[in-house]
Amino acid sequence: MITVRPKILLAIALAVAGAFVTVAGATRAEAQHLLVPMDDAQTNHLKAYGVAFNALGEGARSEWLLNYRGGSFLVPDIPALRRIAALAGVSFEALDGTALAGVRREIAEGNMDAVPLEKAPRIAVYTPPDAPPWDDAVTLALTYAGIPYSKIWDDDVLNTDLSQFDWIHLHHEDFTGQQNKLYLGFRDAPWFVQARERDLATARRHGLANVPALKKAVAERLRAFVERGGFLFAMCGATETLELAIAARDVDIAGPFSDGTPMDADGESKLDWSRTFAVQDARLEYAGGVNAMSDIDGHQVNVPSRRQPLGTFTLFGFSAKFDPVATMLVQDHRTVINDYFGVTTSFLRRVLKPGVTVLAHEEGAPWVKYVHGTYGRGSWTYLGGHDPEDPQHNIGAPPTDLALHPSSPGYRLILNNVLFPAAKKKPLKT
Amino acid sequence: MRALRRALVAAALLTAPLLAQESAASGALVSKALELESAGKNREAVLAWRAVLASGAVLPGVLGLERVFSMLGQEDSLLVVLDTLIPRLPREGALRSAQLRTLATVGLEEQAAAAFRAWRDDAPRDVAPYREYARVLLFNNRASAADTVLREAEAALGTTRALILEVAQMRAALGLWKDAASAWREAMRDQPYFESATIFSLTPTPAPQRDAVRAELAAADAPLGATQALAFLEAAWGAPRSGWRVLSALPVSDTAVAIWREFADESERLRAWTTARDVLVAIHGARPDAAVAIRAATAALAADDAATTLRLARDAAARLDSTRALAEALPLELEALARMGRATETVEVLRRAERVLGPDGARRYARTIAWAWIRAGDVAKARTALKDAPLEADDAVAGWLALFDGDLAAARAALRHTETPGQDAVSALSLLNRTRETRAPSIGAAFLALARTDSAEAARRFEAAATALPDAAPLLLALAARIETSRKDDRRALALWQRVAVEYAEAPEAPEAHLEWSRGLRRGGDVAGARQRLEHLILTYPKSALIHQARRELDALRVGAAAGASD
Repeated sequence: MITVRPKILLAIALAVAGAFVTVAGATRAEAQHLLVPMDDAQTNHLKAYGVAFNALGEGARSEWLLNYRGGSFLVPDIPALRRIAALAGVSFEALDGTALAGVRREIAEGNMDAVPLEKAPRIAVYTPPDAPPWDDAVTLALTYAGIPYSKIWDDDVLNTDLSQFDWIHLHHEDFTGQQNKLYLGFRDAPWFVQARERDLATARRHGLANVPALKKAVAERLRAFVERGGFLFAMCGATETLELAIAARDVDIAGPFSDGTPMDADGESKLDWSRTFAVQDARLEYAGGVNAMSDIDGHQVNVPSRRQPLGTFTLFGFSAKFDPVATMLVQDHRTVINDYFGVTTSFLRRVLKPGVTVLAHEEGAPWVKYVHGTYGRGSWTYLGGHDPEDPQHNIGAPPTDLALHPSSPGYRLILNNVLFPAAKKKPLKT
Repeated sequence: MRALRRALVAAALLTAPLLAQESAASGALVSKALELESAGKNREAVLAWRAVLASGAVLPGVLGLERVFSMLGQEDSLLVVLDTLIPRLPREGALRSAQLRTLATVGLEEQAAAAFRAWRDDAPRDVAPYREYARVLLFNNRASAADTVLREAEAALGTTRALILEVAQMRAALGLWKDAASAWREAMRDQPYFESATIFSLTPTPAPQRDAVRAELAAADAPLGATQALAFLEAAWGAPRSGWRVLSALPVSDTAVAIWREFADESERLRAWTTARDVLVAIHGARPDAAVAIRAATAALAADDAATTLRLARDAAARLDSTRALAEALPLELEALARMGRATETVEVLRRAERVLGPDGARRYARTIAWAWIRAGDVAKARTALKDAPLEADDAVAGWLALFDGDLAAARAALRHTETPGQDAVSALSLLNRTRETRAPSIGAAFLALARTDSAEAARRFEAAATALPDAAPLLLALAARIETSRKDDRRALALWQRVAVEYAEAPEAPEAHLEWSRGLRRGGDVAGARQRLEHLILTYPKSALIHQARRELDALRVGAAAGASD
């Protein structure tokens, strides 16, 4: 490997092309833009999203260079951003006008595009008020990247105007109100009892009979949020149960341990799939002793006899110029990523609606990992699994230390979703 | 191999008479089948085990077939055999167990459940169907289903007392750690040998739930096995001292001492030297033994407890014959005395031993004697000690003596080859590489104070030496600051780190100074100041090896501040 001192490199680059490379603010030069590369030249991919996000907060005009060097960011060369990047350990390269023209020419000639980023999205994470930052992968990623967010919980969803947020994230909440059927194994665990009591109290405050009714009401508000133009990103068990809760608005699909009444024996045929985002014709799991909600998840991690082993999933490539949204969501420096379990790990192809865009799948498997679609005036994205850097995540496992995974390709998918609502909509080219 | 085969044949035949009249040929047939199996000739072994079956030795035949079919990946072939045998021998639990295992292995869960029900209905008061099926389910990671079976057993039999082992395993598999610990404790009342299984089962208990497990295993009426398991769990959870606290309360008995011996082995394996020392001292107290005393003294030395080492080495020497005492106890005694700086006594002990060791034998301890004098602060006598055992020019002891004399040139040459550099050696080498000076008595005095473990004096002298040795001033100030930090004198340390950071901003020690300055500010509650120091470090010294640590601490401050703001 050849290493070049920045000052020597500066001299060479200025002489030849007027561009030079610097890492984490080591060298200062006159330039108009900073390119934050997102290929293997980047030393901290996750915090790079924080730099791009903070650039929006500074009111600076930034661009997301889709498919260019792993989905790089172009931000103005201002001292505040250099400082933020240097503190975060994010690599950047200063570009003068000539170098930038070269970059734009390359983008114009290939399957790449430059998408302006306009305004920092207002982010809300649906999570219990007392949940620590490492309770779900998104709060972990946002905290690590330095991206601010608000926490919302059932009272907020039911009482406040969700349109104050651009983007809402859901993680492993069970919107069927059955607490992920953890009753089977953890019914006496203090944290389980506490969560059940908390949810029951909330239900009563809102005049609802039980936890399933509460969660259905929350699901309905979230559905309406997307319909009216919001962005929704869900992972893990929230994906599957949100679909089921929306489809089962008027059907009892909760086991007797959660609401005191048996599931509607004919419930499956009464589900209204016309109202859901992604899924149709899923089959419900009626057995109370089986820790699964339906057949939506291909991996069924909590049902040992059905559990499927983890493989790898592959991100699809999209046309940056014709399909910028899907392209944004799959920007990564790796296209094949190790899979990881969650309450819901994947989505069977069989149950996906025809209009759903598959963003990542496992080669040869009947399931997919990462899907996206539009609904009303908004859009939604589902990513299966719990924590991209903790494939076998167990209850009580220690939190993932993202400082040890600054270039996690799995976590990048999460952060793509955080940033994509900031992108300015461009008219599709025809 | 032959002995193993004989044992297997014997074991196989022991079970055979339970089922059928033993034919005279059975033994030979079993032996042949085992031979084929151990030779890896599984297909031939299938035929041989079938012949065993035909001879009337049903159970050895079935178990043999189960093994070889498993090797061939044809587990389902056994089902046909069992379907024929079970109606003929419906009360034979071993056949039912084999059926459950096989059905579960090939994934026929519904059939396995049906087989369990059939067995249960045939023997409604028998615990075996529940136990065997629960075991099969647990083995296949179906803890919730095992829970259901065990609850059914409780309803049908009125108790799960006979199933307590399975209950314990099931609860642990479900993450019900407290209940699992309680079940293991009960299981060990009748079967004390389950302590290893308990440790294996409960080791994965997450930290927040460990107190509940501790409470269960330490209950007032807990059997000894539970106490033992708790101690080893503590060791497995990284707290061997807590484990010893549990065991040390046991009244002395042969059983207690046997457990202590196991725990001493474990502590030594974990290199938990202070714990190992205490356990071995207790064993020696209960059952005095020279070998244990030597082990305890060695552990004490590793724990840097010279006083205990000395006491135990002398105790061991009194119990050993003179040859073993000289070989095993004397080195420990001398080393302990040297570390304590009791140089006169060290010399006297060696002088007495010299009568047996001879001059050559005694000379081997010259370096120890020299170190004893250095610790006592008498460099001249250290030199004298080495007079009859001249060191190589590049011997580390010679290097240290030169350094104490302020002869930096000689020290530089000798210490370069030091084999096991401790923190002091690293500091000395850093200094010798930094300065071009060849002589500096003030430096010698500072390192001598350090060698005498007079840290306050050492820090003061290093700070003073910074004036005498301007080309190494930031390093000397940093050495003084590190000593003050380790003495927990934050006020003095902070002042020294600030001097390094401000007056020597270009020095290699500057990033460390900013990091320590930040830490000092944070400990004092000045989070904003701490953050400012870290940011300065990151932005000013982007090539520093400490930058990742600085970023990590900056993140921690940011998250901590956010958490504080939301509280």
